[in-house]
Amino acid sequence: MFVGVAYAAEEGGSAISVVPVLADIWPSILAFLLLFFLLRKFAFGPISSTLDKRAATIKESLEKAEQTKVDAERMLEEYKQQMAEARGEAGKVIEQGRKVAESMKAEIVAQANKDAEAIVAKAHEAMEAEKKAAIGELQASVADLSVAVASKLIGEKLSTADHASLIEKYVAEVGSLNDN
Amino acid sequence: MDGFAEKLASKLHHYSVLPFSDVNGTVDAVDPFVLTNYTFFLVIAFVITLVFFLVAARRVSIVPQGIGQVAEAGYEFIRNLCVDNMGKDGAKYAPFIGTLFFFILFNNVIGLVPGALPGTGSIGVTATWALMVFIVYNAIGFKKNGVIGYLKSFVPSGVREMGPGGRFTLGPFIFILEIVGHFLRPLTLAVRLYANMFAGGIILGIFGIFMILGVQQLGALGITMTGFGFMMLVIMYGFKVFVAFIQAYVFAILTSVYIGGALHASEH
Repeated sequence: MFVGVAYAAEEGGSAISVVPVLADIWPSILAFLLLFFLLRKFAFGPISSTLDKRAATIKESLEKAEQTKVDAERMLEEYKQQMAEARGEAGKVIEQGRKVAESMKAEIVAQANKDAEAIVAKAHEAMEAEKKAAIGELQASVADLSVAVASKLIGEKLSTADHASLIEKYVAEVGSLNDN
Repeated sequence: MDGFAEKLASKLHHYSVLPFSDVNGTVDAVDPFVLTNYTFFLVIAFVITLVFFLVAARRVSIVPQGIGQVAEAGYEFIRNLCVDNMGKDGAKYAPFIGTLFFFILFNNVIGLVPGALPGTGSIGVTATWALMVFIVYNAIGFKKNGVIGYLKSFVPSGVREMGPGGRFTLGPFIFILEIVGHFLRPLTLAVRLYANMFAGGIILGIFGIFMILGVQQLGALGITMTGFGFMMLVIMYGFKVFVAFIQAYVFAILTSVYIGGALHASEH
């Protein structure tokens, strides 16, 4: 069969030739060179620069993202610290306010107590003075009344000296009554 | 089974380099300035590759989108390949490797379309590019290391540091071996790609013929042949798709390895 193939192939006048044909050589080199220069200028060049640009863009974006992350973390830390400081400050202010209020309260209460005491004392004084005045008045009127009664009883006037001694004696008696 | 030989012969004829205007004729010699059946599809691949990248490059933006994303991913893949094999300066050679990879890939993929041929299925095309790679990487080697420096790198430093006995007996031997190795590089590059793409078509052709012959047969044998032919056709087509990508990748990675070696020749 294979002898037949070889025979038939030879008979057809087209046995496979492994010798390059000039008609294939020059178009292939021409086509290659033309394609090479055209592709390098209009395709591979732009594609290559785009690839480089993309790589640069991605790198830049990643770096930016990393920087942003670092910034965000730093800011968060700062805010946390500020928050803590503010909280502490607020606590201090409240504490101070409480202290001030307490001291004011104590002062007000003390003042009130003092005022009350003063008022009570004044009232006492006034009452004492009133009492003394009333007693004085009472004593005077008792003396006068006694003299008048005695004069009427005795019917005659006592000497001034008798008078005086009698009054004193009486007053002393009344005074001792008052003490009880 | 007699039809098999004739059909295969016509298949082989179909895959030979022929003038595009006369693919069914029996022209033996191909005129140097005629469009062949391979260069026809090479030109189509050229147009598709160019249009694809020109359209894609306009859609390229910082935020990836649509077809631009595909072109970007493809180019980035090639750029990384260059950097991996050549070091930091590798990105500079990415347009060269990229053109090679995508042009070969689009050629190979066009060959997957039934009735079409891969431009890379002709030894004339692959040998031209392989020779170009050979010239390019050696030029880089000479430019980077100087003529003496580059030639010196063909003898490993271990041999250079040997005593006079080792240096003058082993040195020339290894030098010649290295030179031969370097000249084999374009040959293997060219034949590997060409043979893979060419054989892919032939294999599909063979199983296609098998199927057609099966349909012409009657009875169990015919059904078996058709079924087997169809199954193999599907499997081989899948394999051909895989090979289309893998061969473009192999050509590109080997080229980048050769350039990388030339760039760092003085280091070893």
